[in-house]
Amino acid sequence: MSALKKYWAIAWISAKSNLAYVSEVWSRLFFLAVILYVFMCVWKATFANNPAGRFEGFTLNEIVWYLAFAEAIIMSSPRVTPLVDEDVRTGAIAVQLVRPLSYPLYRLASNFGEQIVRFATTFFAAAVIAVVLGGVPDNFATGLLFALIVLPFAFVLDFLGYLLVGLSAFWFEDTTGLALIYSRLTMIAGGMLLPLELFPENFRLVLKGLPFAYIVNGPAGLFVHPDLTVLGMVLVNQLVWIAVFSLLVAAVYRKALGRIALNGG
Amino acid sequence: MWNKLFNYLGLAVAYFGFNFKAQLEYRTAFVSQSFAMFLNDCIWLVYFIMFFDRFNVLKGWHAEDVATLWAVTAAGFGIGHSLFGNSLGLARIIANGDLDGWLLYPRALLPHVVLGKMSASSFGDAIFGYVVYLVVVKPDLPHFLLFTALTCSVALLFLGFSVLTGSLSFFIGNGDSLSEGWRNALIAFSTYPMDLFDGKTKLLLLTIIPAAYVSGFPVEALRKLSLLHAAYSLLGALAVVATAAIVFHLGLRRYESGNMVAMRG
Amino acid sequence: MVIVMKLAVEVDNLRKVYEVHKRRGLFAREKSEVVSVDNVSFSVPEGQALAFVGPNGAGKSTTIRMLTGILRPTSGSARVLGFDPWKDRARMAFHIGAVFGQRSQLWYHLPAGDTFDLLARIYNIDPREYKKRRDELVERFDLGALIDVPVRKLSLGQRMRAEVAASLLHKPKLLMLDEPTIGLDINARHQLRELIREWNRRDGLTVFLTSHDTGDIESVAERVIIINHGRIVLDDTVDDLRNRKEFAGLSLEDALAHIYGLEHDASLDDDKVEALIS
Repeated sequence: MSALKKYWAIAWISAKSNLAYVSEVWSRLFFLAVILYVFMCVWKATFANNPAGRFEGFTLNEIVWYLAFAEAIIMSSPRVTPLVDEDVRTGAIAVQLVRPLSYPLYRLASNFGEQIVRFATTFFAAAVIAVVLGGVPDNFATGLLFALIVLPFAFVLDFLGYLLVGLSAFWFEDTTGLALIYSRLTMIAGGMLLPLELFPENFRLVLKGLPFAYIVNGPAGLFVHPDLTVLGMVLVNQLVWIAVFSLLVAAVYRKALGRIALNGG
Repeated sequence: MWNKLFNYLGLAVAYFGFNFKAQLEYRTAFVSQSFAMFLNDCIWLVYFIMFFDRFNVLKGWHAEDVATLWAVTAAGFGIGHSLFGNSLGLARIIANGDLDGWLLYPRALLPHVVLGKMSASSFGDAIFGYVVYLVVVKPDLPHFLLFTALTCSVALLFLGFSVLTGSLSFFIGNGDSLSEGWRNALIAFSTYPMDLFDGKTKLLLLTIIPAAYVSGFPVEALRKLSLLHAAYSLLGALAVVATAAIVFHLGLRRYESGNMVAMRG
Repeated sequence: MVIVMKLAVEVDNLRKVYEVHKRRGLFAREKSEVVSVDNVSFSVPEGQALAFVGPNGAGKSTTIRMLTGILRPTSGSARVLGFDPWKDRARMAFHIGAVFGQRSQLWYHLPAGDTFDLLARIYNIDPREYKKRRDELVERFDLGALIDVPVRKLSLGQRMRAEVAASLLHKPKLLMLDEPTIGLDINARHQLRELIREWNRRDGLTVFLTSHDTGDIESVAERVIIINHGRIVLDDTVDDLRNRKEFAGLSLEDALAHIYGLEHDASLDDDKVEALIS
């Protein structure tokens, strides 16, 4: 229990310190407004050319809300890779070994605290913008409830991926390129710009088999189309992928520690 | 006058070589960052082409037009920021008081400062732009020459825009994130066809988020081989550069008064 | 016989006041002024080595930044090598060299020789002239093989030697050094002081040095100006300062501490007096 408290405290501090960067919040919200507006224009034009009024069950309003939620997830993802990369290169990760903390859990806690704050501010603004652009969606309350159930797991999954990229600094001279590509995969394969349901059939099947779908598309999809079966399926997939990523992190971390021991820190 | 111009051109060339050499000290990082950016751009392009194709977003717009749009935007951004890499970080340079060192040199401050660094990832953007234009659009010679000229004009615009937004630091303290948010907004608008937006928005894109000169006019110029549209793009770029120079020098006065960073020394 | 001395630096009633904004509540801001340099006047003849010292926050670096043209003064005037630093900053820069111990002008990832090449371009040095000058500097600063080693691999002492050499490439008449020996070990410090002194005595280079290290002052400077609370509190030759009766038996370091302390008490008294008057 006391171990849990420790990490909770880390998450809390990280959340609080993130609130201090007010100008960063404002410029994030400014960019968010721009992006949502651009999407809105693009989809308006698209719907105008397709008089059916729905794409695979999505109305214009639902698409806007889906994008708002998905964008809020992506934009709230803290940039943890450069931090881990630096810890590896400066040897700070070795210093962590003498503290009564697990390095991955420490990073997880601090990442989690930061992401919750960032998500809350970003989503609040996104919701205001979406109401202005499209109005209140149906099933708002149920959708939000379902989405919030799966969101913490989405954050953990998101974090584990970036942690792995950061830990690769043990072997690669530079991780910024890898982190860039990985973040793009999360955006596109996760369904940030376009719900996975709107991808061509064969694409969709592949993407639903990847972890990214359960970081972005899972929560955002549940938000606009709350459904108990889907909720269960998203949760199962998230837990499976978290288990897989955790095993990977454990293996990579153990190997990395071996390298520290070899190099003497 | 001409002597001075040639002298500065010589200095610019010396800096390009010098910066490139500095990048090559970390060859792996340089190559992996430029390659990652190249790959990143390719992912977006494929995605956009698929999107425009599947949803028939804009009548009369085809894969080739989307590719042209991305090519000219990416190449312009890439050339502008890879050669004048310090423009990207200008907000932080100003806020940290790092202009001091540059003020000690017997050179015009602004052109000298922006020359001082090269951005590896922007290098990838530049390569991407040209590769896509040559491979996907397969231009004839006049189109290619016009494309080259337009990318230089767009590069000038991005350079000016980054200086303009970075100079905000003179007035508001560290404007790093605001500068980045604004630049991202410009990029976001630049990656969509102008025709998707209504009149008021277009006015915005001709002024404070000058995306019209980044992709709007250049794409029209290339579609119709129209020198008039190319001239619009160049005029826009020159206007942005002129505004940037004025704002930078107004800000520099504050810097020289010491009140911006009062009590630092 | 009258000897007309040419002046390298001439400072007349130089004053710098910063505006400080303090936030009061959400919207209100309170403006207050802080006097950093308070009507300072002095001059430095060509060829002199001057130490400009004082406690932290005394106004040293504000003065240096005004003399190099980085900051504009609130009032007063200065001529540096005959130039007005704020009107002719760029032209003046061709003739002064500057080394700021905290900030490197050498490119960290490249060999110093590469930075030298670039500086030759920045300062428009004729290529043949440059080669000669570079060889001379490499020899006198004992840079030999170091010139081709990336700067990040040099020791701090080696780096500072290269740093000073780089600032002399364009044959400046005046060299400004801000804390040049900070962080150096004893040998490196000694070597650097010797070099600066040699350039001053043998080549007639005017040296304007700030430092907290009394060793720097004793071995390099002939004259010392002490500034505190933005005002000059002492201007004397280093020899005379050491020979003063009141500092008999004290090291220079102790003497300086004594002067800073006196000044501090005096200013307290001023405040008290002012409080009484009002």
